[in-house]
Amino acid sequence: MRFFLLSLSAFIGLALKAQDYKLPAYQQFTLKNGLTVYLMEQHDVPMISVSAILPAGAIYDGDKAGLASLTATALKHGTKKYPKARLDEELDFIGASVSTYASKESAGLSAEFAAKDKDKVLDIINDLLTAPVFDSEEFAKEKRRTLTRLEQAKESPRSVIGSYFDKLLYGDHVYGNIISGTISTVTGLTTADIQKFYSANYIPNGSAISIVGDFNSKEMKATITKIFSSWAKGKQENANLATKPIAKPTGNRVLLVNKDDAKETTFYIGAPGISRNNPDYVAVSVINTLFGGRFTSMLNDELRVNSGLTYGASSRFSALKNGGSFVISTFTAGKTTEPAIDKALEVLKKLHTQGVDEQSLTSAKNYVKGQFPPGYETSGQLANLLTQMFWYKFDESFINNFQKNVDGLTLEKAKSIISTYFPEDKLQFVLVGKAADIKKIAEKYGPVTEVQIKEEPKKAF
Amino acid sequence: MLAFLSFIASNHKHIMKKILFPVFVLLGLSSQAQIKADDVNSFTLKNGMKFLVVEDNSIPNANMYLFYRVGSRNEYQGITGLSHFFEHMMFNGAKKYGPKEFDRTMEFNGGANNAYTREDVTVYTDWFPASATEVIFDLESDRIASLSIDPKMVESERGVVLSERSTGLENSPWRMLSEAVQAQAFQEHPYHWPVIGYEDDMKNWKQADLERYFKTYYAPNNCVVVVSGAVKTADIKALAEKYLEPIPAQPAPPKVHQVEPVQTGERRIMVQKDVATPYMYIAYKAPQATHDDYYPLVLLSDILSSGKSSRLYSALVDGKQQATAVFSSYGESFDPTLFSINAIAGKGVNENDLEKSIYEELEKIKKDGVTDKELQKVKNQKLIEFYNQVETINGKSNNIGTYEVFFGDYKKMFEAPDRYNKVTAEDIKRVANTYFNKTARTVGILKSNTAE
Repeated sequence: MRFFLLSLSAFIGLALKAQDYKLPAYQQFTLKNGLTVYLMEQHDVPMISVSAILPAGAIYDGDKAGLASLTATALKHGTKKYPKARLDEELDFIGASVSTYASKESAGLSAEFAAKDKDKVLDIINDLLTAPVFDSEEFAKEKRRTLTRLEQAKESPRSVIGSYFDKLLYGDHVYGNIISGTISTVTGLTTADIQKFYSANYIPNGSAISIVGDFNSKEMKATITKIFSSWAKGKQENANLATKPIAKPTGNRVLLVNKDDAKETTFYIGAPGISRNNPDYVAVSVINTLFGGRFTSMLNDELRVNSGLTYGASSRFSALKNGGSFVISTFTAGKTTEPAIDKALEVLKKLHTQGVDEQSLTSAKNYVKGQFPPGYETSGQLANLLTQMFWYKFDESFINNFQKNVDGLTLEKAKSIISTYFPEDKLQFVLVGKAADIKKIAEKYGPVTEVQIKEEPKKAF
Repeated sequence: MLAFLSFIASNHKHIMKKILFPVFVLLGLSSQAQIKADDVNSFTLKNGMKFLVVEDNSIPNANMYLFYRVGSRNEYQGITGLSHFFEHMMFNGAKKYGPKEFDRTMEFNGGANNAYTREDVTVYTDWFPASATEVIFDLESDRIASLSIDPKMVESERGVVLSERSTGLENSPWRMLSEAVQAQAFQEHPYHWPVIGYEDDMKNWKQADLERYFKTYYAPNNCVVVVSGAVKTADIKALAEKYLEPIPAQPAPPKVHQVEPVQTGERRIMVQKDVATPYMYIAYKAPQATHDDYYPLVLLSDILSSGKSSRLYSALVDGKQQATAVFSSYGESFDPTLFSINAIAGKGVNENDLEKSIYEELEKIKKDGVTDKELQKVKNQKLIEFYNQVETINGKSNNIGTYEVFFGDYKKMFEAPDRYNKVTAEDIKRVANTYFNKTARTVGILKSNTAE
């Protein structure tokens, strides 16, 4: 038994009721240095998952794009106690995975290992987070690899379109920062930059760590308290950087990213979205499921099933603390660029003019409820959920009341969700494709800014 | 087939290795909720359709994985890609549930689905709240019993798979390179062509091809079904008898008779694409899943490239910095396959130097073998892999089905621990010497300037 407590009796036809769903019991406490800790026992397999979240994301990069990301990566360049070679060998030998990364707002660590290795791996995790040495030779190697990867990413429209879109939508706001950095900014980074970024942002207060799996909570609490208590509290000067207002688009805009050898056009059509704490978060996901979040969604039905223009069309809301984005995303052969964009816009228009009916709303509600449990099945998923709860300040009622909240979405409410959160105009387009063939088409949708995929992305468009 | 998650494994060398085994054998651990052979309930319907059921109440959901023994291996030139296209057509309407109704009905009942096609098999995956189990049986039985192939749907779906092919090529140089290498390595056996098919064949499939394919390969006796989740075996059996048993068995499909001739010399191929640095794909001929050498070769692959302390990563990415990435892969297949080593050259590195360094690492193993500690390390990693796989009901179904069709019996999954545990350092050295031979090697290089 893992996550959903339920009375499973006999046969098919037995409807599992919403009120049967509960997040398993967990403990939460805060160390004197401000580090928030979550513990949840799960004994199905003799494994433990760890997730940590820290206020050290790309929003703090300043003009050194890629700094947060490289700092997170460099944590694994070793510590005094665990120099890199020893670190890699010890983790590999026990089959443990420990990865560190930066996202837009936060940095994170996630780990998975056998329960019997908990003392060793927790000691390593603590050392990586609190005592990294940022070896300059290792850093030089990492930087070279990163620079080559940045160049390689330009070979795939799918891997770069997201950061072009964020720059276009968020402009000068820190949510437009490019997590991976750019060739010119990464070229300039030094271990001194990394060290400085680390000291300013890797602090226990404002961070959380969750441990889920096969352990005894009482013992684990003692272990965690002992090893993480010496991590010194800090003060983050610009903690609230992302609360600055985000400028709203004033009209349609098209960013055309030219890729000379492109055979297809990969495109986003987007607009401002919602922040994670929006009270309509669940309702918005249900409507988005219907619009572009599943196979039979309006978008996929029209662009793929009815017309065969693409292998897939979808839409999503990406929610951050202080804002978010909405995008329609798909790709099509260069010569079908125009019908694909037109159809996407037509479907968006249809959502506003025709709305949704009872039957399709019920279907979307059933679908999100039915697909919810597998999202919280493993220890890793649960560990991640706990740190997300910390970061976005929501609690287990999100899980425990999920079904109820979904069920409460009426047709009338659906209508207001559509008109409030789904854009009708002032759309932001990013097209990655062969400009020579599609520039004329792009001009149909708004003023066009053309850039070259091989060139350095601009500060803002 | 689902747009958002979908992939087709058009290259069997990129399939992840899926190995499940009780690990207490390896590490002396006592494991709690260990899945055992006895936890898999099995029955076969009168029409030959085999069922494997795992009762698991950890979430109120269940899944159904249907493994059909058909893939691009069953095709011939002129209809390449048809197996994968057929996978798409299985969602486009049958007698009771017409076009679009399969997905609409499934999603209305809280279910989602996907499918994947490989060289050897086509697998359909349904994920649903356990309360919808009967609906899933109804949907599956309808399309297996009486698929209807609507010419209009054939045309729009053709556009979909052409887009799938094109977006794969557009977004990864590996796709283009692996197709080229595979075509060189296999000259007569059907592993010669890509699962997605040739573009011109894709535009040329006929209605009759599809109808014949359905009749020949989509027979209950050519299918293994795995169900895991909050279900009872007796209920699954009752539903299977009601919905699937009435579907008649068909004559066994024709055997794939081509045997790839022994390769007698190195083959090399160059491919042009505008890339930052060269991509390299080195492939050695290697045996199918039922061969005894399968187990030491899987461990050898891990020794070469699993983790930062692995041979190739530490020598080429970390040490000499000739590559930005390196990996090796070897997975289960019906017929003899490839063991591949893939690398992306670092900036300013001549790919010939990178290639030479890779061979040096292989020669070290051929000459000096591996250490006991290295061997123990990859055995330990297999343990973690196992736990990750049995942690979800989907991992259970996929692995049980894969063992049943590729290794001939799902019970082999429970023998695997012992097979891995028995692998010695001497075995690793022996298989390295047996398979890493220049004459059985195909080398592909993709780079910007192939004229130099």
